[in-house]
Amino acid sequence: MKATPYNLFMSALYGGRKGIRPPAGNPTSIACVELMKACGVFFPEAHLNARAMADLALAGHELVGFDTVMPEYSVHQESAALGCEMDWGNETRMPDAKTAPHADFSDVIVPENILEKPSFRVVLDALSMLRREVGGQAAIIGKVMGPWTLSYHMAGTQNFLLQLGLGEKDKINRMLRQLMPVSIAFANAQFRAGADAVVLADHATGNLVGPYHYRDYLLPIHQEITARVGGPMILHICGNCLDRLEFFAESGVDAYHFEWQVDAKAAVEKIGKRISLIGNVNNAKTLYQGTPEDVYRQARYAIEAGVDIIGPECAVPLMTPLANLRAIPTAVREGY
Amino acid sequence: MNESIQKIKEAIIEGHHREIESLVREICKTGISPDTVIQEGLIAAMDTVGQRFSAGEIFVPEMLVSALTMKLGLNIVKPFMTGEAGAPKGAVLMGTVKGDLHDIGKNIVIMMLEGAGFRVIDLGVDIDVEKVVEKVAEIRPQVLGLSALLTTTMPEMKRVIEELRARGLRDRVKIMVGGAPVDAAFAEKIGADGYGKDAVQAVALSRSFVGL
Repeated sequence: MKATPYNLFMSALYGGRKGIRPPAGNPTSIACVELMKACGVFFPEAHLNARAMADLALAGHELVGFDTVMPEYSVHQESAALGCEMDWGNETRMPDAKTAPHADFSDVIVPENILEKPSFRVVLDALSMLRREVGGQAAIIGKVMGPWTLSYHMAGTQNFLLQLGLGEKDKINRMLRQLMPVSIAFANAQFRAGADAVVLADHATGNLVGPYHYRDYLLPIHQEITARVGGPMILHICGNCLDRLEFFAESGVDAYHFEWQVDAKAAVEKIGKRISLIGNVNNAKTLYQGTPEDVYRQARYAIEAGVDIIGPECAVPLMTPLANLRAIPTAVREGY
Repeated sequence: MNESIQKIKEAIIEGHHREIESLVREICKTGISPDTVIQEGLIAAMDTVGQRFSAGEIFVPEMLVSALTMKLGLNIVKPFMTGEAGAPKGAVLMGTVKGDLHDIGKNIVIMMLEGAGFRVIDLGVDIDVEKVVEKVAEIRPQVLGLSALLTTTMPEMKRVIEELRARGLRDRVKIMVGGAPVDAAFAEKIGADGYGKDAVQAVALSRSFVGL
């Protein structure tokens, strides 16, 4: 196998042959203010304009040294298309939805032309640009929100969790089922547009909800999504999920992108033979507040633990120093 | 323990929100002091709920339902309270800092504090430094609780503390901070009085701040 960024990433994603080094990958955003300054593309344009979106993703590959390009920086592309009023933020503030249009758990009617909504179109166009520009060279990663995350946006997070606690199973399942086609349609469209893998971000976050919530509500839905989506998927769920890793391994995804709160060795031991693992350099303390040496040490720890693809645990804080981000590619280039 | 109190406690722990009002109504008719109902029923129940949450036995959905159940019970017992028994343990001003719209963690802390008998003033989310300082001056709470979920908004906590110091208000209020990216070292670094890992610790901190 030629040791190109694309080959190294895809092989590691499928748990295949090891090249000369592990790949550095970012299933979630590595856009930070210093990177925006370095490439001259800023938020909120990079959420709204396909060229800007693609250019910022390219900068992660060309200027920082990641083996992937991932052009989706917000978690609100879907909720914008589904009727949430949006604040797209600025270069130091991430976008946020200002309204939850289905707080009453009324039926979510998915627009027939949802793939043509501006917040979908921009991602699909950016992926196509990346395919034309670095296809086969860097691994192109797309991203969709799963129905759990979308339910937070539709109903309001606390409201959704309260109904879950109240045991309103029909309400919860109906909303999840109504939103599932959005994730499936967007993921398949991203593959057709040029993605090599698509992240399924669905925040059944450790500490927020229990492993039994994931097992009872979300696992069957994730199994259906992965069955109906054509290409490889990477599950992203934040928090300490050590207590539910086995369920993730049953979901049909090819990899799980995880946080530092889960010890890399424990994660590899639990599910490393069944799906690939991506992560798990700490954001708040290490990438944001630490030094390049701190980042390097954590990345090397993950490599030695057997994590397949090395990257930040989640979307990096916008004030993350570029030197800290660069320490991840530096660590992987030392090989296994 | 009184059997009826025990039932109230269990109803809150298990989140039986449909039963709590009649249970509390019944016990209030028996002449038992409202303070006993609150202390041994509602507050004791929420302590247990908090411990189970900290231990990872239950999660936010269950905690929200217990808090809702406790609140329904509290609303029934409140009219029976008179004088000292009804006096709050202290006032806590709570808010999520500027630039941060996350409020579940803060809301859970508020529910637990109310369950523990504190009067809580919720400033909401995305709160300007100036507004926090203004409210501290106006309300004179014993405790100020600041929450942040984003690493990008953590520095706002420091700004609040600096501004309180500049206005000569810092020593009049105890400050606790919390939220996913925050830790004890950060709390110490910015000059807060304490860090709460979760809602249980936030309640324990508040109790210690008011000498309970």
